[in-house]
Amino acid sequence: MKEKLERLEQEALKALEAADNPQEVQLLRVRYVGRKGAVTQCLRSISTLPPAERPLAGKLANEVKTRLEAAFKDSIEAFDTGRKRPDGALDVTLPGRPLAGGRLHPITQITQAICEIFLRLGFEIVEGPDVELDYYNFEALNIPKDHPARDMQDTFYVSENIVLRTHTSPIQVRVMERQSPPVRIIAPGKAYRVDSDVSHTPMFHQVEGLMVAENISMGDLKGVLTIFVHQMFDEETSLRFRPSFFPFTEPSAEVDIRCVICRGKGCRVCSHTGWLEVLGAGMVHPAVFEMVGYDTGRYTGFAFGMGIERIAMLKYGIDDIRKFYENNIRFLEQF
Amino acid sequence: MKVSLSWLKDYVTIDVDAAELAEALTMAGLEVEALTDRYGYLDRVVVGRIVEIAAHPHADTLSVCSVDVGDGIKPVVCGAANIKKGAFVPVALPGARLPSGDTIKAGHIRGQPSEGMLCSEAELALGTDSSGILLLKDQAAPGKGLAAALDLSDAIIEFDLTPNRPDCLSVIGVAREAAAILKTPLKYQEVKVPAGATPIEELASVTVEAPDHCPRYAARLILDVKIGPSPFWLQDRLNSVGLRAINNVVDVTNFVLMEMGQPLHAFDFDRLAENRIVVKTARQGQRFTTLDGVERTLGAEMLMICDGKGPVALAGIMGGLESEIEDHTRRVLIESAYFDPITTRRTAKRLGLGTESSYRFERGVDPNGVRRALDRAAQIMVESAGGKPAEGVIDVYPRPIRKSVIELSVKRTNRLLGAGLSREEVGSYLESIELEVEPLNEDRLRVASPTFRVDLKRPEDLMEEVARLRGYDKIPTTYPESDVVGIPRGKKLKLRDRLRQVLSGCGFSQIVTYSFIEKDACDRLGLGDKDPRRRMVSITNPLTEDQGVMRTSLLPGLLATMYRNSAQRNENLKIFELGKVFLNPPAADRDELPLEVEMISGLWTGARYDKTWHFREEEADFYDIKGVVEAVCEGLNVKKPRFAPLSSPDFAYLRAGHAAELHAGDERLGAAGELSPAVLKNFHLKQTAFCFDLNFDLLVDHATQEKLARPISRFPATTRDIALIVDEAVEAGSVLDFIEGLGQELIEAVDVFDVYQGRPIPDGKKSIALRITYRSFERNLTDSEVNTIHEVVTNKVLKQFKAQLPAIDGWR
Ligand SMILES: [Zn+2]
Repeated sequence: MKEKLERLEQEALKALEAADNPQEVQLLRVRYVGRKGAVTQCLRSISTLPPAERPLAGKLANEVKTRLEAAFKDSIEAFDTGRKRPDGALDVTLPGRPLAGGRLHPITQITQAICEIFLRLGFEIVEGPDVELDYYNFEALNIPKDHPARDMQDTFYVSENIVLRTHTSPIQVRVMERQSPPVRIIAPGKAYRVDSDVSHTPMFHQVEGLMVAENISMGDLKGVLTIFVHQMFDEETSLRFRPSFFPFTEPSAEVDIRCVICRGKGCRVCSHTGWLEVLGAGMVHPAVFEMVGYDTGRYTGFAFGMGIERIAMLKYGIDDIRKFYENNIRFLEQF
Repeated sequence: MKVSLSWLKDYVTIDVDAAELAEALTMAGLEVEALTDRYGYLDRVVVGRIVEIAAHPHADTLSVCSVDVGDGIKPVVCGAANIKKGAFVPVALPGARLPSGDTIKAGHIRGQPSEGMLCSEAELALGTDSSGILLLKDQAAPGKGLAAALDLSDAIIEFDLTPNRPDCLSVIGVAREAAAILKTPLKYQEVKVPAGATPIEELASVTVEAPDHCPRYAARLILDVKIGPSPFWLQDRLNSVGLRAINNVVDVTNFVLMEMGQPLHAFDFDRLAENRIVVKTARQGQRFTTLDGVERTLGAEMLMICDGKGPVALAGIMGGLESEIEDHTRRVLIESAYFDPITTRRTAKRLGLGTESSYRFERGVDPNGVRRALDRAAQIMVESAGGKPAEGVIDVYPRPIRKSVIELSVKRTNRLLGAGLSREEVGSYLESIELEVEPLNEDRLRVASPTFRVDLKRPEDLMEEVARLRGYDKIPTTYPESDVVGIPRGKKLKLRDRLRQVLSGCGFSQIVTYSFIEKDACDRLGLGDKDPRRRMVSITNPLTEDQGVMRTSLLPGLLATMYRNSAQRNENLKIFELGKVFLNPPAADRDELPLEVEMISGLWTGARYDKTWHFREEEADFYDIKGVVEAVCEGLNVKKPRFAPLSSPDFAYLRAGHAAELHAGDERLGAAGELSPAVLKNFHLKQTAFCFDLNFDLLVDHATQEKLARPISRFPATTRDIALIVDEAVEAGSVLDFIEGLGQELIEAVDVFDVYQGRPIPDGKKSIALRITYRSFERNLTDSEVNTIHEVVTNKVLKQFKAQLPAIDGWR
């Protein structure tokens, strides 16, 4: 028994010496001191020895087992800490060969996220021209010439009757002119206003939404926008509807969400109000329906619009809107 | 628009604090932009007790006071005579900002230290007395804030009002909303003008020659006024909302403007020629100096207030210099009128002159509030300027404007709001804002809305009133009933997504640049005179010169982005933009919209790979950018794209011989290659750059969406290599096309695997090495079979391109 144990120990240590990697060490450990390992079996067979030999043999077997276990442990540690490296092994900590993909602009990513939500709700994506007739940008939206509401949107003019669209709302009219209800669309796109500071750029992006059918109520508007906000931000983000004015909706509402930065406690981003204005919305004004020949007795609808930069700034923690258009590659590669 | 809480309280009982009121008004649609403490400026002004007074050693008129300001005794130099030991006085401590704009600093006055200033009530805007230091009657603890000691507290509420609510551009207007929200009555002030001696008609006359522009014009005369400062309460009210007090006549008109929202004008009656007023439009080109001292050229559509000789005021906008109230004015004509909103707006816009008055007329004042405002002004002016009114009023109002009457269905109100309100509930909300409501039947109400509510014209307008007074939060959240619809995503939308995936997969990052660019961009790109991209859409009012025209190419944006990045030392760049360009139609009709074409363009400059331990740094080249275009064509499944050397003048911005056009079918989709050195120079760039510039709309036309699986042969392929020595001008593409054109069915693929020029190849020649893959669908090809075919192919190629095989043959 003694010789056998000594032989096993020598053999195990020799094999351990030759082991090239931690996996191999593990195998050796199982082979010698595992549950069915050779040393373990010796230990079990002690009960078959004459009673007088048992204590000594038992002590020896336990000593061998302990020594081997320590040796295996030490060896694995040596590999783990890098004291020992398998022959011909690579320095796996060197960086991999880059297959760097490019990034999509944050405005695109947010637009896609918004559109995805509404697509799932059965909305269709439509688009319209950036350079737009005054008629579609203003008049058909119940903003006649010489109306003070024109001051709400400082306009770039191409000619007396052609403007750079100041919002994506003209798309509503273009769609309703060519399609009868029900209508369920969203319209992402660029918009332009004579404005430039930390929170305004002369070009920006909006997503417009429109739903028209029989019996659409303001409650439905709240429902759809609640779904949107919960999916865009999270379920804990509450909404607040506040009376406002847009010439093409009546009633009109500003939609605030609970500040996603401070959760309503008040911070710089929400000007310490706990709320963030993110959407304008309302029930489509009957004057707009009349312009496109919809039966105002039969149909009702809601419309809403939001600034994409605003949402991107909240989602990504960006404090200056102009960063989107500087296109510094180090900025863009963060998204 | 600002109001103060204390002023509001003149008309409505407010039992909530300012913050609560502000919140409630915001939620009713009057958005509060700021809520500030009226007496915030007294922050560093405290009660002080004069402990000791000593003569100033170097100035007879000054004394040096020792003042207990709570946290110590401070020296303060003072020049007032009414101070005495033991008196309690206001002390402005260092850092205090007085209404005059001065900031108090600790320092020395004629050599004596002074750590503050004792103030008069005028200096603190708490009264008009400036003769001496304000002696506080109540003994307060030294150091106590003055505002607290005097029990001064007021809040200023600043609104960001929407243009549909001109009725709230006054204290009463806001009070009316507050009353409705707080469910308490609005208290109107009693207006009573004392009787006069001489009837006004004997002294003055008013003729309105343009009643469309001026539906109503009313006037009163106040005689024997004595111009001077207004009483303190009047100055204080104006100060509280940010207006400066001027004199006891002008202040009254401003007070009534703020109180009632009716703009008034006060003329020096003795400076009105022939003592009469004529309201008429101006003569084209006529000149007129407004009271801001600016001479203005008038247009024929502008409405003027004239006297017997000529214009004295721009109606509803600004008075003239010639008839303004002066210190010696004795008789005042007060004008209260209703000017047409559009007329006022056009004139104000044309002249670029916006005033508190024009702002209100443009949005609409109350035509039926004209008289009351006039009387109110007369009443206060008599009190404040010591005048006597002439008897009566001149009021030219030929066609009175009546209340609008709207029929409202309760059922439809409930349908739109998703609510279940009774007829009575709907009615009482409307009555709370002074609308007259009369039930017609179970469902319908007849609602008359007062003329100050210019925004209430349709049933939906009333529905909004009901909704906002009840609170939008009471509207239940519901979900629209909806049919299941399957809307396919359009081809273009799908391809856009695909394209962005392909390009980002190629390592390109997307940029978004402004749609407007600088006017000379076409010159800088070196475009020809007739190039369609010169048909630019100009913006008449650009923000800056370099944003003057709509882009007709995405390249200027890419190049500007490269410039900005290189300034940031981002020298390796792979970027693309997907966006519209705008081309004016060839024969520009004034009202025709430009053509909007979607383009996809990209730019690659700097290293092929970012420098890492893996790669030697290598510059990107033409074949890199071409590879990207090939990936795009493959990703979009463009049918048979072909590259050809540049032949069109459209691509003058690319370096000749280092760029290619992309064709598909019989259309040209764009080009790719190296930017010409001249263009780089024009955009102030130093580093070589490669770009592609493709028409996305055309790519979409040529993209196929169907993909059909082709069978894959089960039999192995056999390859044969061949090296051809050809003239250097021979294009590899033509050799490949030729082999394909042979129609040999067993040829599966032909690849170029090497191109070589130089020794031992003779000058003017190059070697092109091809690998041809042969495979059959039916059987294993034998070597000899392949050799036979390959020899035939080789001979045809040699003949076609007058090529030679290299000295050591490549047969294997
Ligand atoms: Zn916050």
